[in-house]
Amino acid sequence: MDSKEEIHERLKQVLVELFEIDPAKIKPEANLYQDLGIDSIDAIDLLLRLKELTGKKIQPETFKHVRTVADVTDAIHALGLSDAAIGS
Amino acid sequence: MMLRDTPGYNWLDYGWRLFGTGLSFACFGLGGVLLSLTLFPLIRLVSRDRDTTRRRIQRAMQYTFRVFLWQMTTLGVISYEVSGRERMAGRGQLIVANHPSLIDVVLLIALLPEVDCIVKQALWRNPFLRWPVAWADYIPNSGSAEELVASAAANLRSGRSLIVFPEGTRSVPGQPLNMQRGAARIALAAAAQLVPVTIVCQPLMLAKTQPWYHIPPSRGHWRLVVGEPLPAAQFTGAGIPEALAARHLTQFLVEYFSRSVTAVTQQGANAAASLTPNCTMP
Repeated sequence: MDSKEEIHERLKQVLVELFEIDPAKIKPEANLYQDLGIDSIDAIDLLLRLKELTGKKIQPETFKHVRTVADVTDAIHALGLSDAAIGS
Repeated sequence: MMLRDTPGYNWLDYGWRLFGTGLSFACFGLGGVLLSLTLFPLIRLVSRDRDTTRRRIQRAMQYTFRVFLWQMTTLGVISYEVSGRERMAGRGQLIVANHPSLIDVVLLIALLPEVDCIVKQALWRNPFLRWPVAWADYIPNSGSAEELVASAAANLRSGRSLIVFPEGTRSVPGQPLNMQRGAARIALAAAAQLVPVTIVCQPLMLAKTQPWYHIPPSRGHWRLVVGEPLPAAQFTGAGIPEALAARHLTQFLVEYFSRSVTAVTQQGANAAASLTPNCTMP
């Protein structure tokens, strides 16, 4: 059910809602920190929000290696949310 | 243009100020070491608990910095003026300032009998100064940003005021202000009052790109203009995530300081009056 494209779209909504990031800038290859201006405290807020939405926890250790929007999408995808559509 | 062609340049005055600046720096370094071995441990020794130690050490810091400023003004190396100082007198206030020069924190601490500040990692490793900064219970800029925000906010809520430079480092002359969101995060976490202090130094001295011996053709004059306090809670509301409130507050501060620095630069201390109504919340 949850293709990476769907996860990406949902993640985009979260980034806009939490940080008012320009949706046009949110591309898979965009760097969270350099291109989207997210700081380390924002990253924690993002993790919490994703946990609320998916009901599953992305380990902060995993998130440390996350650099781009695609990395976040992959991390969510890897949680195996095949039937629990996030945010729906 | 050669320095000696600058209007108002006087080689005797220039040489004296260069000497005075060097002497002041030497005294600051030497005085810091000396006090770390005498006055500060003595205060620690005669204070019964951590909180008494903190208050007394912070007070001693204030007097030390006042003496340092007295030395620099007496030598004619710098001059300064402050307006709206009484606005910084409240408890649990977050004092936010722009950061044009090396001595901004010295000026602010000299004005405040009891105030916390965030101290960079290098000082906590300094063999002499690590003890006084620990006894003053200043906040170390180490570990995670999350811990820093939490401990700063806890101190603010307990009624202690805190100085923060949202730029995180000295301003780059001629560049637009660039502020990080840590100060806003602290203010929001503590629901604190923000007291904006605009600092302008003319002619510019001890700026980020200037070593101490690059002194201006005439004495550097600092103006500190304390603006109207505003509550961080103005930026929060139902359905506004804190990350977003931090962005709005930081954006407000960037706009406020960009305007106020220009106003103080152009109008001097008179800017205080005009700055207050125009620069409070939209």
